[in-house]
Amino acid sequence: MAELNCIVVTPEATTLEAKAEFVALPLFDGEAGILPGHSPMIGRLGYGELRIRTAGREQAFYVDGGFVQVADNIVSVLTNRAVPAGDVDADLAREQLAAATKRKTASDEEFELRDRTINQARGQLRVAKRTR
Amino acid sequence: MANARALDKRRKSVRNIRKITRTMELIATARFKKAMDRATAATSYTRRITQLVSDLAQSGLEVKHPLLEPREEVKNATLLVLTANRGLCGGYNGGVIRQAMPRFDELNKSVGGTRLEVSGKRGINALKFRGVTAEEEFMHFDDQPRFDEVDVIASRYLDEYTAGHLDRLDVAYTQFISIGKQVSVVETLLPLGGIEGVDDEEGKKQSSSGESMYEFLPSAESILEEVVPTSFKVKLFKCFLDTAVSEQIARMVAMKSATENAGDMIKQLSMTYNRARQSQITGEIMEIIGGVEALKS
Repeated sequence: MAELNCIVVTPEATTLEAKAEFVALPLFDGEAGILPGHSPMIGRLGYGELRIRTAGREQAFYVDGGFVQVADNIVSVLTNRAVPAGDVDADLAREQLAAATKRKTASDEEFELRDRTINQARGQLRVAKRTR
Repeated sequence: MANARALDKRRKSVRNIRKITRTMELIATARFKKAMDRATAATSYTRRITQLVSDLAQSGLEVKHPLLEPREEVKNATLLVLTANRGLCGGYNGGVIRQAMPRFDELNKSVGGTRLEVSGKRGINALKFRGVTAEEEFMHFDDQPRFDEVDVIASRYLDEYTAGHLDRLDVAYTQFISIGKQVSVVETLLPLGGIEGVDDEEGKKQSSSGESMYEFLPSAESILEEVVPTSFKVKLFKCFLDTAVSEQIARMVAMKSATENAGDMIKQLSMTYNRARQSQITGEIMEIIGGVEALKS
């Protein structure tokens, strides 16, 4: 069976370059699973968990938005931050969530910004909860 | 002729300085390698983003975004100056300041409220000396700027820009072209003139057919909406990386020539010292001979 090649890149460095049987992506509006032979796709990532299964072993990362491009069995994930799921700081995320929910917004832009921060914090919490 | 002992003392101190400059050169070389590695690691991301944008353009999507359009009226501008935290790197800091000051004056003239933000102790001090106060100062950027730190600044600019409190952002920094060439430049980052990959020849050809092999989730527009801010952030991050790499190169070159100069100076001093010593000895011998002659008669 063909294998996927999963590459996770952040602006600082290439975090991961590995073969995979299955990749689960946290897309902007829900999770998507990628198997070998997937049709070419460009997707917008949300805040959530990226799971990569290689030879029965699963690796999980928290990704902080970005994009994914799938073509020719290569999955390139472009994200601002990719943290191994075990290293997500749940306390910090909780603080961020609390601060964001309390913040008052006056305009649409500010509201959008707050929404984004809340989503980001919730994504981190979700990933932290799963790994515990 | 100067006295031999003073010359010897001077020679010793120059030798000490040479030791220091040589060490600094070695340190700068090591740091430069590290910074360079980081910069190369970052290009992978830039390349992929460019690829993604050109794929987007191929889908026949019209690339339009508020960040790409120049504002009709520029009311608030910001100039960000990136310098080093430390000196002893030749004309590096001076070059950036020299580029930044005329632009700042120009912006001040054409645009009423221009904010000045400076990164690096050297730049802060140099601008203070010129009587310009920076509204924001950063000193935590070393030879390895982290994306999180840059992201904070970039997000602030983006927020200000979308909210309408900022109409133009200029960045004065040292652009890294090659190991042998770095230029201080002032670039306008906001509004983004365009993003790389859009004007690809290939993209144009394909877009006429309007077909793309990619499926866009959730939609090409939504992805574009996200790509543009990201590409701004990456651009700003690259400015910081370039600054860091160029600083190390500048220091390396400056320290190398300092070491060489010290070597030359030691040679010169040794020569004068030897001459002084010789003439002293000759003088002493003459005195002895004179004494002997005097005793003989």
